Amino acid sequence: MVEAFAVASGKGGTGKTTSTLALGMALAEQYDVTVIDADTGMANLLFHAGLGDVDTTLHDVLADAAPVEAARYERFGLDVIPCGTSLDGFRDADPGRLREVVATVARDTDVILLDSPAALSSRSAVLPVVLADRVVVVLQPTIPSLSDGLKVQEYADSYDTGVAGLLFNKVRDEEDIESVATKTERYFDGPTLATVPASEAAREARRAGRPLLAHAPDSSAARAFAEAASRIDVRDRGADRVADRFRSAVIPDPP
Amino acid sequence: MNLPDGELLKSRVVEDPRDLLAAALDRALTGYAILEPQESLLLDAGGQGILTLQDGVPRLAYYTGTDRGGPAALADLATPGPYRVELYQLEAAVSTDLDATGGLQVTPGAPAERLAGDPALAASTRRSAPAAWCESGPGGAAADDESTGSESRRSAVEAFLDDAEKIEAIREQAREEAQARAEEWDFATPEEQAVEEC
Repeated sequence: MVEAFAVASGKGGTGKTTSTLALGMALAEQYDVTVIDADTGMANLLFHAGLGDVDTTLHDVLADAAPVEAARYERFGLDVIPCGTSLDGFRDADPGRLREVVATVARDTDVILLDSPAALSSRSAVLPVVLADRVVVVLQPTIPSLSDGLKVQEYADSYDTGVAGLLFNKVRDEEDIESVATKTERYFDGPTLATVPASEAAREARRAGRPLLAHAPDSSAARAFAEAASRIDVRDRGADRVADRFRSAVIPDPP
Repeated sequence: MNLPDGELLKSRVVEDPRDLLAAALDRALTGYAILEPQESLLLDAGGQGILTLQDGVPRLAYYTGTDRGGPAALADLATPGPYRVELYQLEAAVSTDLDATGGLQVTPGAPAERLAGDPALAASTRRSAPAAWCESGPGGAAADDESTGSESRRSAVEAFLDDAEKIEAIREQAREEAQARAEEWDFATPEEQAVEEC
């Protein structure tokens, strides 16, 4: 079985990478999970997963200089495929090959999580939403974030990509999140998976180069992410379906 | 709000007002910004938002499209962008007169939070503001205690979510944009795939 999820928000700073790894670790209790850094221009995942010193990354795979397996690292019970940080690597990478990477990984994993770029302003930025079966929309209870989340949903809908649910992240105590979440759900096709409190533990985890669920598994934020993962009903879309999605999409231009 | 003439420092179209707010704060600018959402679809009549600044810190907000001020004006102005923005500098003495305008106050971090979605910028703006502005202000801004998150922010977000027409307009705009870009980027949409498979 396999289902691919894009973790997306339409804007930066919502905690997508923290969310991707946290959902990945929680889902890995039950499934075989692979997390891919699909934000090829702003590599982030490697620092969160303690992979800052690896030699081979997704950039090498997208430049046709290495097989997928060479950039796939087992960490924290997950398979992690990070992007590199060098400008040369970014320049040589062909984001269009991401489709092949996803199709290859889909053959031997249950859940693929694509950590998506912050914007929807280019082909390569939208590609994870195109390739995924469903999106997890990461939101903050602010008007700009909600607007951008709505935009992500409309893009997803245009490509027949569903909405697995909403994740309210970095929520502060004083925010009346229940009311905001209830009102937000009216406009989205998926439920609120969890509301994750703003947490110093998440910042500490990032600094330590470890996923939140490994660094502070008992923190309130980690528990909320685990709750979110438990509400995602992973569906078997079939590896062929992932491979076939948008086969008519031409290879995007290099960055 | 009658605005005195000021010295125009910047005029451009931006995705969101974050950089404008950050630049004003960095320069401790006293003056005002005019923000005009470029998506007239979202705002029935169209209009301009005015945000006054004192030593870089936002003080008053007003939106001509709805004739509302304070946090309500920020809610009206919060669109996905882009905006045409103009930044004007004023003599401090003139701006003090403006400050007497009642009912238009916003708390210092509110524009950064609501228009730019940048809590870090909001926090640094609050740190630069006189303490009294964060706690209470003339015109009944006492409820906008941003140091603990805020009544006004909650109500602005909820007011936004209660405006089904505005949200539908945002969705419609995004749908059209997504479809247009799918063609531009050669991503087939499901309808096109179905045709190909026939």
